[in-house]
Amino acid sequence: MDFSTEITYSAEQEKFRQEVSVWLSENAQIPAEFKIPRETGDMSHELYNWVREYRKKLGAKGWLAPLWPSEYGGGGLSVDMAQVLEEELSKRKIPAIYDNRLAAPAMMVWGTEEQKQRFLPLINKGDVITWQAFTEPEVGSDAASITTSAVRDGDDFIINGTKVYIGGPFSADYIWTTAVTDQTSPRHRNLGAFYVPADLPGISFSDMELIVNVGKRFVYYDNVRVPGEYLVGGENQGWQVAQTSLEIEHGAGGSIGEGASRDGGVVAALFDYAQTAVDGAGNPLIEDPRIRDLLVEARIETHIVELIALRNYWMFNNQKRMTFHGSQNSLLRKLLAMKLGNIVLEVAGPYAMLNDSNWAPSRGVFESHQRQAITAHHPGGSSEIQKLIMARRLGLSRSKEEAAPTKVA
Amino acid sequence: MVDLGLTDAQEMLRNNAHRFVQDKCTREVVREIDESERGFSESLWKDISEIGWPSIVIDEQYGGMGSSLTDAGLLFEEMGWACMPSPLHSSSVLSALVLQQAGTADQRQHYLPLIADGNRIVAFAFSEPGYGWGPESIHTQANKVGDKYVVSGTKLFVPDAESADSYLLVARTRATDVSGSGLTLFIVDKEVPGIHVKEVSGWTGDKLYEIAIEDAILTEAQVVGEVNRGYEVLEPILDRGTALLCAYMLGGLQQMADMSVTYSQNRIAFGVPISTFQRVQDMIINIVNDLEAVRWTTYEALSMIDNGAREQDIAEAVSMAKIVASEGFTRGTENAHYVHGGVSVDMKYGLYLYTKKSRTLFSYLGDPAYHKKRVASLMFD
Repeated sequence: MDFSTEITYSAEQEKFRQEVSVWLSENAQIPAEFKIPRETGDMSHELYNWVREYRKKLGAKGWLAPLWPSEYGGGGLSVDMAQVLEEELSKRKIPAIYDNRLAAPAMMVWGTEEQKQRFLPLINKGDVITWQAFTEPEVGSDAASITTSAVRDGDDFIINGTKVYIGGPFSADYIWTTAVTDQTSPRHRNLGAFYVPADLPGISFSDMELIVNVGKRFVYYDNVRVPGEYLVGGENQGWQVAQTSLEIEHGAGGSIGEGASRDGGVVAALFDYAQTAVDGAGNPLIEDPRIRDLLVEARIETHIVELIALRNYWMFNNQKRMTFHGSQNSLLRKLLAMKLGNIVLEVAGPYAMLNDSNWAPSRGVFESHQRQAITAHHPGGSSEIQKLIMARRLGLSRSKEEAAPTKVA
Repeated sequence: MVDLGLTDAQEMLRNNAHRFVQDKCTREVVREIDESERGFSESLWKDISEIGWPSIVIDEQYGGMGSSLTDAGLLFEEMGWACMPSPLHSSSVLSALVLQQAGTADQRQHYLPLIADGNRIVAFAFSEPGYGWGPESIHTQANKVGDKYVVSGTKLFVPDAESADSYLLVARTRATDVSGSGLTLFIVDKEVPGIHVKEVSGWTGDKLYEIAIEDAILTEAQVVGEVNRGYEVLEPILDRGTALLCAYMLGGLQQMADMSVTYSQNRIAFGVPISTFQRVQDMIINIVNDLEAVRWTTYEALSMIDNGAREQDIAEAVSMAKIVASEGFTRGTENAHYVHGGVSVDMKYGLYLYTKKSRTLFSYLGDPAYHKKRVASLMFD
């Protein structure tokens, strides 16, 4: 076995790294006048547009979806090369913009060849921004209980309903939507999945106010006429199609290297704080055995989640049979975020809750983490739902369940 | 490059080991050994020796297999799955690695082939009444008198001391200071006067012993490695032994998951299998979460050793793995008890074998408190 993500690279990898690095030097320099936002929702429209253009350039080279086949807008790269690319990209720290590309794997598995040819390059090359719109008010954990309806009218569908917790700042080009296509069929046999152009008449949005500023919306469908060509996977297959998106969202794909636990830098800030701050008696925190234990716990818990993400990355890319693994990744990541929030509170006390320009440690990373951790607990299925899925995949429940198909390359 | 898979040869090694323990080391066999006077089975040891397990990490030149720690880990995982009692870890890992690493040519030529064949068992006598795994915990004194050493002190919580033919004995020859640990290692055959072995009774996963040493006379030929530099030899070997111990604990925890899944699927209450109750599912999910944490921290530590990582990084990975394994295995048996209910304390069912094993290994080679201190020191000092 080999766990090292820092590896002895082949000459071919080094050559590719050089190519990527040169390209990024020319294309990934954020103009100095843009302020880097603290939260997604604070991003200026100018910076947003710059990031979109940058992603299109990246996409044109196939580097936005490096492991995807080039015929569908991907890079057609091997895992070895994709890793090098990932490493170089992460060094540049380009702010992320919200683009939920989980429609792509679902379309790859369930779409017609015509749909794949038409939509996958758009998604994989960054030409379009997609928002995923599955959940609704009164739906939450019971994702199959949606009421948004899609009624067939000739070759078209008329969609009505409301979606919630959708998208991010600014606008989308497509909305990846589930809706009830058959009011009479039983659960899981009654939905359709639509890749809806966001500019169709009858679609409107309103902003939500959440404890994190990530620009989430309500989406309203008011008699929206959607041509049948946007239905993916057939009229009553929407539940199965959505499962492919959710399987990936739960973390089946895994991740590699630093940041695999997605802690947003809070652990580094925690270590930094503990090594510099003193207590009321003037003693360095780092000499307090209780604080040291907490720091080691933060290190271990974070590392476990990194290893689980690495496990999934390896399994996913080597086509190993995955069962509970995706949901376990998601569950542990969600629990880790909460645990780190508590450790930060124990170590930094009231400072953990500050974003004050004068008094907040690490420019408010702790305070932001308190809100992020709680918010991240629910999207893509709460921790309880991840446990439910794990139980099914472990063969404990009445309903037996396999992982949804996710094959990409 | 990231590769978390086993080679074909490793798959075969594991499958063979799994079949062996299923056949030769059933729950009934383990119970029988556990209740025997010495906690040791001659016939099982003979079977293990025939398939070469005591030679797994010993170099080929001394009749060993010279396998990687990852390979050895697969065997320990299967042993743990079966909860197999044996002196393999004390003798063929800790003691053998010390002799192989630091022994004189004579010591290596004499002991290692015997250990590899299973014809000699060497207990690892480190811990003392003031329990701990750093050099500061060693108070057994070895005083140089002429060309001899006079040794006095008490070793406690030593596994396998009764079934052993020899001891790898750790004693103090000087105070620990900046120049070194002041510890010296000795290889001692059992017949030495002044050494008395007595079982310490308790609900323990392995039989544990007190070794009372009163003015035992040892010679210079029995010193293993450099005088006063014993812990310097031991520390990396303790890390290797700890990583393999984690593999054993991983196997035990896998058994907790296997037993809990199977039992809950077959036990009917209120007309349905209890596995369909979400509260029961939560317990099993907790086991599986601990299991995967132990698995990957352990595999990572083993693979770092095999791939020649820096000793400091190995130390950190091993200590993290032991913290996770000690906590995970203990909690895993607890959850297994909750899933099983009353039958979990029925001796015939045998779950308790894992329960007491987990609690004994919780502390062995360092408990979480010890290893947390060690990780903190590696990270911040």
